[in-house]
Amino acid sequence: MADASRQRQRDVAVLGGAETEIVPEDLRSIPEMVLEAVAGALDDAAVQWEDVDAIVTASVDLFDGLTASSIAVTEVVGAVLKPETRIAADGMAAAIHAVHQIAAGAYGTVLVVAHGKASMAPHWDLTEWAMDPVYLQPLGVDFLTVAGLQANLIADSNRVGRCASLGDGACAVVLSSSVPSGAAVITGTGHDLDAHYPGDRDLSTWSGLQRAAGRAYEQAGVRDPATAFAVAEPSCMFPHEEGLFVEATAIGKNTPLSPSGGLMEGTAPIVSGLTRLLAAARAIEGNPGRRALAHGAWGPAGQGHAVAIVEAT
Amino acid sequence: MILEGTIRLPFSYAAGGIGTQFLIALRDEQRILGARCESCSTVTCPARPFCSQCHAAVTDLIEVGPAGNVVARTETPGKGVFGLIRLDGANTAILHRLVGPVDQWRRGARVSAVFAEERTAGINDIEGFVIEGDQP
Repeated sequence: MADASRQRQRDVAVLGGAETEIVPEDLRSIPEMVLEAVAGALDDAAVQWEDVDAIVTASVDLFDGLTASSIAVTEVVGAVLKPETRIAADGMAAAIHAVHQIAAGAYGTVLVVAHGKASMAPHWDLTEWAMDPVYLQPLGVDFLTVAGLQANLIADSNRVGRCASLGDGACAVVLSSSVPSGAAVITGTGHDLDAHYPGDRDLSTWSGLQRAAGRAYEQAGVRDPATAFAVAEPSCMFPHEEGLFVEATAIGKNTPLSPSGGLMEGTAPIVSGLTRLLAAARAIEGNPGRRALAHGAWGPAGQGHAVAIVEAT
Repeated sequence: MILEGTIRLPFSYAAGGIGTQFLIALRDEQRILGARCESCSTVTCPARPFCSQCHAAVTDLIEVGPAGNVVARTETPGKGVFGLIRLDGANTAILHRLVGPVDQWRRGARVSAVFAEERTAGINDIEGFVIEGDQP
């Protein structure tokens, strides 16, 4: 297993993508919202439905108020009569799954789609039901509480700082084994899941991100992360997370963070990481040799992390 | 148009063998149990059937606390003050309520568990943690 992780992964091109405008409440249905992102992504990637071999979707039942939340989007992502895999985590984890499918030779072109509608329910109250039902749910602990404990360790604050403005949105990205000249390619990925119970792990660091980034760096041949990236696109929902991100990725103080605008002004649950991948690819396209780092996170206080290294050809 | 709906379903969660022992010890003995790993000696609290650090199966329960040190604390609006508390004898921290205003809590403060008068074999059988010496 250690040997496999050291192998350079087969390059996977980011052919194109699209995202809907994040708004506090998108009055369209989930399929309508997703349809806009998917049509835009296919158009941007210059591919047709029949070029897409498989689909990976990211959605969380709890956030959609619907079990098997992918049933809301199966038709509009073009997954009818095609292989569809649903990932119940941030969209970046779905993108990494698609990269693995392509790198393994299972499919040539894969559409990755994420959607989230924070307007459907009080988001942080909802996260209470994503906590352990024996030891945490009965206390009323939610993701905000765990983020607050982390903020206390990082910033010595009594409560968590201003959260990124959460709204409704969808994002779609087309990944492919065929690499057009000038395309951004994913040269390394890493993924890590830490312990769920907040007292089991050291909340003063994002060690899961450190491990995820380390795996991605190894695959992509990144030796000095402080000078390797033209841009980094983090998924930080709270101000204190930026320091955690910089420390865990070792990107140093000089790597620009989200120059095109980060998540704080507006993002949607589950969608964030996939929008970071798209932003990272767009930031370096046309500048051969330039690299960017894209990040997705999910769960209480960054329990899960996923990283992709994108490089311009 | 937005259609309003409500999801309300009764659910039954199995506490499991170790979880049941932990919760019954709270209810009947007002004792807090940790799970001691035979492989790496880590004591995980609250007790679970696996080691939180090396993931080995764990069956050995020992008493920890009821006093310990605050590792971190926060106030969640509308819900109260919560802390991570590393209890004496445990290597990991328990997440629970801190009783009293958030300002009085400092990391490293010595605290002790206060048990609820009416106990039902749930995590709320611990009412919360107070500064040591402040127990009623």
